[in-house]
Amino acid sequence: MEKNRQWGVDAPVGAAVGRWLGLAAAHAVAMGLACAALGADAHWAYQRLERRPPPSVPGIRHPVDAFIESRLREAGVPAAPEATRREWLRRVTFDLTGLAPTPLELEAFEADARPGAHERVVDRLLASPRHGERWARHWMDAAHFAETHGHDQDRVRTHAWPYRDYLVRAFNDDVPYARFVKEQVAGDVLFPERPEATAALGFAAGGPWDESSLRDIREDTTDRQVGRYVDRDDMVSTVMGVLASTTVQCARCHDHKFDPVPQSDYYALQAVFAGVERAHREYYPDPTLTRRRRAIRSDLERVGRKDAALLLGAAAAEEVKAWEGDRQGAEASWKVVEWDRASAGGGVAWRRMADGSLLATGENPERNDYVLEWRSAGSRVTGLRMEVLPDPSLPQKGPGRAVNGNLHLSELKAEVRDGSGRTLEVVRFARATASHEQEGWRVAAALDGDEKTAWGIHPREGEAHAAVFELAAPVELSPGRTLVVTLLQRHGGSHTIGRFRMQWTGVDCPPEALPPRIAAVVAKAATQRSDAERMEVAAWLLGARLNRELASLPQPLRVYAIADVFEPDGSLRPPPGPREVRVLRRGDIGKPGEVARPGAMACVAGLPSRFEVPEGAGEGARRAALAAWLTSKDNGLAWRSAVNRAWHHHFGRGIVATPNDFGRMGATPTQPELLDWLACWFRDEAGGSMKSLHRLLVTSAAYRRSSRPPEATVAADPANALWSRMPRQRLDAECVRDALLQASGRLDLRMGGPGDMQFDMKPGIHVTPRVDYTVFDVDSAAGARRSVYRFLFRTLPDPFFEALDCPAGDQMVGARDNTVTVQQALALWNNAFVVRQSGWLARRLEREPGDTAALVERACVLLWGRRPDVAERETLADHARRHGLESACRVLANSNAFVFVE
Amino acid sequence: MNEGFLRGGHARIEGVGQGSRRAFLARLGGGLGGVGLAAVLGADGLLASGSGSAGTAGVGRPVAAPARPRVRRVIQMFMNGGASQMDLFDYKPELERRAGQRFDPGAGALVEAPTSEPGKVLKPPFALQRRGASGRWVSELLPHLGACVDDMAFLMAMQSRTNVHGPGSYLMNTGFLLPGFPCMGAWVGYALGSECDNLPGFVVLPDARGLPYNARGNFSAGFLPVTHQGTIIQSHLERPVADLALPKSAAHLGGAAGEDALRALGAINRLHRERAGDDTRLQARIEAYELAARMQLAAPEALDIRSESEATRRLYGLDDPATEDFGRRCLLARRLVERGVRFVQVWSGAGGPSNNWDNHKSIVKELPPMCRATDRPAAALLKDLRARGLLDDTLVLWNTEFGRMPFSQEGEGRDHNGGAFVGWMAGAGVRAGASVGETDPWGWKAERDITTPHDLHATVLHLMGIDHERLVVRHNGADRRLTDVHGHVVRGVVA
Repeated sequence: MEKNRQWGVDAPVGAAVGRWLGLAAAHAVAMGLACAALGADAHWAYQRLERRPPPSVPGIRHPVDAFIESRLREAGVPAAPEATRREWLRRVTFDLTGLAPTPLELEAFEADARPGAHERVVDRLLASPRHGERWARHWMDAAHFAETHGHDQDRVRTHAWPYRDYLVRAFNDDVPYARFVKEQVAGDVLFPERPEATAALGFAAGGPWDESSLRDIREDTTDRQVGRYVDRDDMVSTVMGVLASTTVQCARCHDHKFDPVPQSDYYALQAVFAGVERAHREYYPDPTLTRRRRAIRSDLERVGRKDAALLLGAAAAEEVKAWEGDRQGAEASWKVVEWDRASAGGGVAWRRMADGSLLATGENPERNDYVLEWRSAGSRVTGLRMEVLPDPSLPQKGPGRAVNGNLHLSELKAEVRDGSGRTLEVVRFARATASHEQEGWRVAAALDGDEKTAWGIHPREGEAHAAVFELAAPVELSPGRTLVVTLLQRHGGSHTIGRFRMQWTGVDCPPEALPPRIAAVVAKAATQRSDAERMEVAAWLLGARLNRELASLPQPLRVYAIADVFEPDGSLRPPPGPREVRVLRRGDIGKPGEVARPGAMACVAGLPSRFEVPEGAGEGARRAALAAWLTSKDNGLAWRSAVNRAWHHHFGRGIVATPNDFGRMGATPTQPELLDWLACWFRDEAGGSMKSLHRLLVTSAAYRRSSRPPEATVAADPANALWSRMPRQRLDAECVRDALLQASGRLDLRMGGPGDMQFDMKPGIHVTPRVDYTVFDVDSAAGARRSVYRFLFRTLPDPFFEALDCPAGDQMVGARDNTVTVQQALALWNNAFVVRQSGWLARRLEREPGDTAALVERACVLLWGRRPDVAERETLADHARRHGLESACRVLANSNAFVFVE
Repeated sequence: MNEGFLRGGHARIEGVGQGSRRAFLARLGGGLGGVGLAAVLGADGLLASGSGSAGTAGVGRPVAAPARPRVRRVIQMFMNGGASQMDLFDYKPELERRAGQRFDPGAGALVEAPTSEPGKVLKPPFALQRRGASGRWVSELLPHLGACVDDMAFLMAMQSRTNVHGPGSYLMNTGFLLPGFPCMGAWVGYALGSECDNLPGFVVLPDARGLPYNARGNFSAGFLPVTHQGTIIQSHLERPVADLALPKSAAHLGGAAGEDALRALGAINRLHRERAGDDTRLQARIEAYELAARMQLAAPEALDIRSESEATRRLYGLDDPATEDFGRRCLLARRLVERGVRFVQVWSGAGGPSNNWDNHKSIVKELPPMCRATDRPAAALLKDLRARGLLDDTLVLWNTEFGRMPFSQEGEGRDHNGGAFVGWMAGAGVRAGASVGETDPWGWKAERDITTPHDLHATVLHLMGIDHERLVVRHNGADRRLTDVHGHVVRGVVA
């Protein structure tokens, strides 16, 4: 993880402690001077990019090497010699693709004597789909991406993965950096015709989310308001940390102590994200459908918050009027069904009441099915209306027979039979409406074919309710035919219907059941209704219509992302527009100051600090403005940030050692001229092509150097501040796992889609599931794909990956730790994954010809990228002969020659 | 981890000791017993004292040179869910007087509850009694702990910054409301290293029913080296520690084959080192495997309670199904600190709506089983530690993430209340019988001598000889502390 390493950069063993402490102290003094003498805005990171040509160094043509060499020569540091071809190939293959070079690739490269062999390898690797998989993971670290919420309710985000797939594709397609940034901040606004740009919005939503505070507790609490500020803080920190290497979040409670970021700038950035929440965003490959769905969701949101402009508007009034016109007459068309036969199980006896209803008497079984028959020659039926009615004989007056008077109608079914009882037609229903529905027990459940769901009426027992079932197509009851209606009541607890009456109609549009409050308003003349009553009816009618329209659209794609419009979940609802953000004094919700206008940091030279967003432009305009700010040619911070990240991953340490922090608390660039030259070159010549940048860096002589420097090199450049050599790097968690799968022959290169859950998951006590990594079958299909496709659980990360320093998505990580620990040794030594791959590798080798020594040699080439020397081979072969090749492979998988890259 | 860390091999810290093994452990970048860079620098005195302004040297400011720290080890019992202060320790006669009335603290104060509509004033359904010479009020539900009050120091007016479990638990464990920060056990391990080289320095013993709110987030090493994160031991499982042994299906690789394999690994790693040149990490990995082998032997021994006497087992309540789980884990905690583990957390209650201290529905029904499960074992732990002389340098903590409301939720439950809660401590360095702070007449909000989670953390670090303002690591542009920018040592509980 990213820590300030200025005090510990790659110093060799034996370097005097005092020496590097001296460096740190010198740095501290330099910083103090910078603060005191130069003033706030002179800090290097905020300056405009200054392009100076690479120094002219005799014999050096590569621009990166010109910068490096000139410093080395100036300091009299002898650079380390070139690494062997095999070392370089292993290094660059892991670096660009996260996998090991194959034995064939190693041989071919060693044999390629033509000029340009290195460049050809680099082109091959950059063209491989494996490249995007490797570099997507770096970006996921920085964005602290994971697929659950974190916090106490660590719920699974079912569709976080499309953002991961977006990253893989973007790196493989070499999307120009400026567009890459724009898509992730405001892709929905800037590229509405490109659905993948919507998936990019997963970026700012990748971090943790406090479900308890933002979905479950009451909207009117202080904790909710605090939760919103804290949540936006994470979005702002992510965007500015990753894209601008700036720690703006340090200005939440007070002006930034070390960097020129006043509190007002920080809250200006919060205002940029004031109109979004984190949610599953819906979109389609077809943008017109996306727009349609958004429009419906937006209207539903307005209905939900009783927006007067919508509900008292002319269009709504017209809609209500037309609807009432249709209902007129239709309501009067309901006629009572006179049942020819009614049967029920469990000792129930029917009593026919004067109003045509049936009252259940006698036994009261747990469950029941009522079968009702009606022979009505010549009727054309388009709808059935069932009233459930109270009765003094029922518990709590009914209308149900449960102790509290409730009922649960599991399913309503109907069919047409001929005289002999043969089924002629199963009646299909279009929809159901009810005058009242119990929370979680909607009337639609009576038509969903699922007996576990049902319509209920709690807590309004003791009252009459009605449900209307609209047929999908009219049913003609010609003579001799019988309509058989079955009421399945399978819930148990005597949740059966006590008294009911059925009505039928033949009008084209059977009038839906109305909630009593709506019915009461509709009963009044339009002129007699108050505004509140008109709004109530309009909200009910529009809400029902919009929900129908929504249901009629095809299933959308989803991505967990920042979203202004989405499906409400608990008390998490789409914001009515950008929320008011205030500058909080001391970060205290109880001390709100002025209202913040959207903007960014004023300290960056040459850029506006506040955005001109037209009134009523919508929240997206704010994000679009930030995207433009971040990608402006004048934004030196952002372009330096981008090239430094690439440099960090290639060379093991950034030119600025703190990729997420270019502020005064971060490190200073070791080669500022090189950093600026790279930033300009990347922005201008390369047009933001990340692949061009990678090619430039890994084809340098600096990148070819050995990690085994001569003593003179170490003595002259102990901290490797001048890049006199390449650092030896421990493989990261993904590389360890993927390379072992690759060697064992089990690696599945299928790309994309939902993450592979490499654990057993069971429902937990509350929201967070129970997750068990130990029982996962590593030989299953879900265990064979590349690690970037693992499902990432935030509060329950995979211990194997954790032991190898893979971040869990709780903090943004610009530079991973590279630890050596006992826990790591135990994981590599005992974990089922390593053990199983050792077994597969042994089996793979045993199919090949040769004696044990030859097979061991082959294993070394697969895992080390080189043949073992005699002593190594004999040690391993001797072990294999005594304990089997599998045990020798386990040793190899744990060896330093495997886990370190020279 | 950075290599500066690795070069901490020359560490000298008072109370940690020197010697080649210790130096080696430090070189291992943690290993089982890594020593924080901050501590290292402090010990060398090279960046010691100085300006103290975070803007200058920043990283690596030293831990205060401890004036012989009183505490070498910590056992923290954590009551997950928000244990009810007024039902357990904070006696408030006003609640009895006003029982059933609308809750009105006066002065137009805003009364809100995070998950419910505030109900009527709810008096504790179980009696509180004065116990011990110190006369502390304790619920009749905690008879055994009540007998120990004269050993304890109470923080009667603790206060959180939130009423929500996730952030609240993070705050109590890491000093921050958000995920991703190192918890107290990790900081302590980072600063002081471990006292033994064959067991982890920080062990977490979760409730057998499941992990607490935030799951493993509460035991995270955050941005500290991963070696300092809590090692979870699930003592009720057949394999209590992950990856400590080979999977059963791979038994053929263990035994003599395994020992030979370790030897072969050492041999080829040494051959590799000869090729590769001097690099501490190569040597560290070689030694890590040797340590791992020792831990494979030591951990099962530490977890095997069969050697404990019948009397001890009874003391901890292992003979009673109600107390067996918490009792076994308290006993394990003792065995672990006995063997040099630096920090042990024993959790009571899993996350979720029931079987923990989050008693929304009914104090009458939900609180007694939690008290019953923990009362006897917790008291046994204090007695046992004392009898073995371990209490002289072991600190015992009893904490929760927040308290509960003086008014009811759904009749006889209580909603979350970050405004006030109670914690206690006992053992080394603690002023026995002390009580600090006071809540308002309803136990609604802490009023006098408030203790924040940061204050608690500062106090624990202080007792361990660490100045909380100087245990600092720079991360993503900020100098991070367990106590953020807050925290004061609560002098009233320090002996």
